[in-house]
Amino acid sequence: MAEKESKESRYEAGFGSNAKKEPVRVVFVTRKTSAKVVGDIGPRLMTYPHLLIREAIVFMILVISLVTVALFWDAPLEQLANPLLTPNPAKAPWYFLGLQELLHYFPPLVAGIIIPTLVVIALIVIPYFNINIEGAPLWSGNAKRTLLMFLAVVIALTMLLAAFRAWTVLAPTDLVALLMLASYHGSAERRAGANAFWRRERTLPWWVMTWFISVAVVLTVVGTFFRGPGWSWVWPWSSHAG
Amino acid sequence: MTDANQVPPVQAPSDLPTRLIITRREFLNDAAGLALGIAGIGSLVVTYGYLSPNVLFEPPTTFRAGNPDLYPSNSVTFLEDQQVYVVRTENGFYAVSAVCTHLGCVTQWKPDLGQIACPCHGSKFKSDGTKIEGPAPRPLPHFAISLTADGELQVDKLEVISPGQALKA
Amino acid sequence: MANSFTIAPALERLRATRVWKSVFRRGPALTNRTRSLAVFGNLFLHFLPVKVREKSLRVRASYYVGSISFLLFIVLSVTGVLLMFYYHPAVPQAYRDMKDLRFVVSNGVFLRNLHRLAAQLMVLAVFWHMFHVFYRGGYRPPHEFNWVVGVVLLLVTLFLSYTGYLLPWDQLAFWAITVGTNIVSAMPLIGRRVRFVSLGGNLVGENALLRFYVLHCVVLPLIAVFLVAVHFWRVQKDGGLTVREEDGGKGK
Repeated sequence: MAEKESKESRYEAGFGSNAKKEPVRVVFVTRKTSAKVVGDIGPRLMTYPHLLIREAIVFMILVISLVTVALFWDAPLEQLANPLLTPNPAKAPWYFLGLQELLHYFPPLVAGIIIPTLVVIALIVIPYFNINIEGAPLWSGNAKRTLLMFLAVVIALTMLLAAFRAWTVLAPTDLVALLMLASYHGSAERRAGANAFWRRERTLPWWVMTWFISVAVVLTVVGTFFRGPGWSWVWPWSSHAG
Repeated sequence: MTDANQVPPVQAPSDLPTRLIITRREFLNDAAGLALGIAGIGSLVVTYGYLSPNVLFEPPTTFRAGNPDLYPSNSVTFLEDQQVYVVRTENGFYAVSAVCTHLGCVTQWKPDLGQIACPCHGSKFKSDGTKIEGPAPRPLPHFAISLTADGELQVDKLEVISPGQALKA
Repeated sequence: MANSFTIAPALERLRATRVWKSVFRRGPALTNRTRSLAVFGNLFLHFLPVKVREKSLRVRASYYVGSISFLLFIVLSVTGVLLMFYYHPAVPQAYRDMKDLRFVVSNGVFLRNLHRLAAQLMVLAVFWHMFHVFYRGGYRPPHEFNWVVGVVLLLVTLFLSYTGYLLPWDQLAFWAITVGTNIVSAMPLIGRRVRFVSLGGNLVGENALLRFYVLHCVVLPLIAVFLVAVHFWRVQKDGGLTVREEDGGKGK
């Protein structure tokens, strides 16, 4: 296999092969992608019947479970809509409860419009930013500098959230930050290629998404179980509100 | 664009600026594009107009609130179907909106606490609409209140007035 | 068993008829060629590739959450259409129809339960699917556009759930939508107008119910169907489902 060494070493050699028996493409690995060709894509099966039968099985299991639950668990129906009487508390559907909890701390323009819009935009542009593609572990490169920047961001975020008294956002944020710090100290041992779930080296996008999910889950759980009349804090076991 | 049929730009006489030379094809293409653009934007505007109703079957926003003597002095009366509080103080009458300025829930008057409270996120207001606490961004608005010719109170919910005024009646 | 002796040859005779052959032209799917045709030559199935990677079929690869999202959509469409036969999008008739479905209509309560349950699960499934694709790196080139289509589908799903939430016209529905549309009016410049057009008025009333009904039953499902078709098609055209690195996939 030809080796191309340019001055900047932009190319790496690929695997050798017997080109006559198994024609393989030459792979030029540039820095913008992280394609590590470990092997070929593996054996393939005919969609009919292998994929279709599995989809059919999934569908049957799904329908059976749905029907079983639907036979016993009734969907709620409250009283006729009354524009003059607001129930206390008036809660949104569960997937918006996280947002409603956020509304408790920030004005409607911020929590209701700006933050959701930013979240959607952030999701959409994920594939177009190199950091999400390169897959570099968080503490690779200049780890000390990364640590300083990370601490600055976390402290600023903590102060901002504390200023707005957004404790339910603060708690998961700081928890994830602590986990990220823990991953810093252990990184030397981990570079030996650990594969267990809690010992893998994680990328920054991985941490950001994990932070987002944990905040969303905490806010939704709080909004569902820990908020009562007037959006005041209640302990779910004492109020039986559910 | 490598269109083999494309006519090479015409060479202008030296005293004319070349920018002004346009081929017939370019002109027609631009005109067609402009026409389609107008049609497209026009469709959107017309659709938006179609979707905005001109006639609404909602309750009238100006209503009568009865004779002033019905209201005891220093009281707050909640008119349920209009979502308005009629407040009578020593200075006179004023009408305060009962719709919370945060997210539109209907508030409740709590006489023992002397406050207007919103059940949704815990905003609290005084009987003149000023905010005591909570996430509501603005105080409750005051509506124009007047006397009709036959001496009844009348409130116009479309006309918001600045607080501090009271109707003497 | 007597059945297996009489049904199979009868089926064979049926398959040999002219009528059958004019409808199903490929013949029994016993060779790889006819199996390819079963997928490639079928209007509904040709979104799928003819061959799939064996590793991507494993349950632990994705727990099939993407498929589950789509299958839930099918369940919702079927139950939804059935519910439409008894539901009038009018105030206060809508609420009475909900009561009818519960107490009067045969299996009405079951169908409504199924519809609502599938709706909640579908929102959960699409979120799970999105997070799974993210952590698997399935958004990397050449799959970027498909990821964007997926995010738009997530918004369509949330919007479908939200418009459907109003339809029972009970206190829960009414106030959830009141709060939501008041948030919309907080948008600068266009907020009040967007709220006015979505509700068809200044209040949440009969116009709002009808508009949400049309969005929920016609507009959004059509958009969803088109986008789902694009989503499946792009999976195939972009090179198939992403497989984990341990299973021979690319990247990290």
